[in-house]
Amino acid sequence: MSGTIIIIRGLLGKCFGSFEGVRKFFAFVRSIFVSFRSLRYLRLRSLVAIAVNQTRFTGYDALPIIVVISLILGATVIIQATQNFPKFGIEGFIGNLLVIIIARELGPLATAMVVMSRSGSAIATEIATQKQGREIQSLELMGIDSRLYIVIPRIAASIASILSLIIIFDIVAFFGGYLISLSTVFIPIDIFLQTLLDSMSADDLIITLVKSVVYGTTIPLVCCYYGFMPRSKFEIPIYVSRAVMRTLLILFVVNALISALFYL
Amino acid sequence: METTDIILRLENVVYDADEFAPLTGITFELAWGEDLVVFGPEDSGLNTLCPLIAGLALPAAGEIYFKSAPIKGFDYFQMHRYRKELGYLQRDYGLISNMSAEQNIRLPLQYHSTLSSAETRAVADRLIDALNLEGCRARRPINLTMSETLRTAFARSLILEPDLLLVEHALEGQCLINSQTFLRELERWADRPGCSLMMTTYEPDRFLVCADRFMMLYDGRIVFEGTREEYLHTDNPFVRQYKLASVDGPMRIL
Repeated sequence: MSGTIIIIRGLLGKCFGSFEGVRKFFAFVRSIFVSFRSLRYLRLRSLVAIAVNQTRFTGYDALPIIVVISLILGATVIIQATQNFPKFGIEGFIGNLLVIIIARELGPLATAMVVMSRSGSAIATEIATQKQGREIQSLELMGIDSRLYIVIPRIAASIASILSLIIIFDIVAFFGGYLISLSTVFIPIDIFLQTLLDSMSADDLIITLVKSVVYGTTIPLVCCYYGFMPRSKFEIPIYVSRAVMRTLLILFVVNALISALFYL
Repeated sequence: METTDIILRLENVVYDADEFAPLTGITFELAWGEDLVVFGPEDSGLNTLCPLIAGLALPAAGEIYFKSAPIKGFDYFQMHRYRKELGYLQRDYGLISNMSAEQNIRLPLQYHSTLSSAETRAVADRLIDALNLEGCRARRPINLTMSETLRTAFARSLILEPDLLLVEHALEGQCLINSQTFLRELERWADRPGCSLMMTTYEPDRFLVCADRFMMLYDGRIVFEGTREEYLHTDNPFVRQYKLASVDGPMRIL
């Protein structure tokens, strides 16, 4: 009996702990909205420089890994399709299959996961280290709103990077997959392109845009939140790991919600 | 002294939270153009003053006035403006690690001023030149020597031409020779009319050239306050014990 009570108490504690975490996160988000008030006092050029740097790191520097992953995933989808579906008439549904699996689901999710693993963890570590080095405090002492200065350029850079990377991911996966498929089944390029275009709808483009904005906002927001949390150097790895895991969980939930919202 | 002559006034300031050492009712004023050195042993409350004045911590009681306005009542925008008028040279300098020395120096101007990038560069160039930082303008803080770090942080704290400059333990751990450039520029800054300085240190004698007034804290209260001459010739037992670094005297050694 007492064991059950301890378990229930533990579960309740976890739940309330999570609620407290959610409350603190929303307080953090609110503080960012509050910091928008100082936008009229600052010169945007100081934010632009950070956004450009972040875009280079999050977007441009991630290109090689995105190309490799998209090629592998595109090829895997095509290989599975050609091996498990009837070869006769495959050119009719291969485009549809690629759009459903790559463009709608795998492309945005895999891109977000790459960005989260590279940039999200880097953001959390960078901010946590800067906080311990009292750099964040020195920004505040210069009259610079650290929330605005650190978080906003990263969100802007992340949205731009994820959108561009998703587009590149899809294109590489489509054509990489097509080239791989040639080894097992021949589909004329014009038919492949036609089925691909026929399978695409305006919804797919809107969803790509929506996912870019949602992921691009969520990843830096959650990672910045955890970056600001450590109170000592000892806590940095704990919060960086937490940032990555929580963002991963949120990405899956958000991805499922968006898909349900648009396709159900 | 007229209220309008005062840039900073602390009235019965009490601090008792855990973050910094306690203060038990500190009252003093700093006039426009005055240069004050605050010293005292570790845990005397010395390191609590600058964070309280900068609004990083809140006093439990008492009031801090900047240009006759209580800083406790500052809203988001007033605090923003206040910190622009306040130069703060932190104890650990707080240079932004992913920026070069020049970018660090220009940062406050880039963020706050309406000057063009070329103009901010020109302002920064003057400081870089005065503080002999030409050779390290492109280097990041990790690649700077201790004195270069100090001078870079000092240049950054001066670039907005603050009315009040807080200098926190600037010379501790610094090379005696290489810190002369900093001291020369600090002295020049102290001589400017209308610019007030408050320096906290464990080595008050090193600031003799630029200080008008000295104040000693012990156990969260002021135990000595006087002009440079008074500081040099005082027989205050706290100051004497401090100057001699003696274990005998009214101060308890930790």
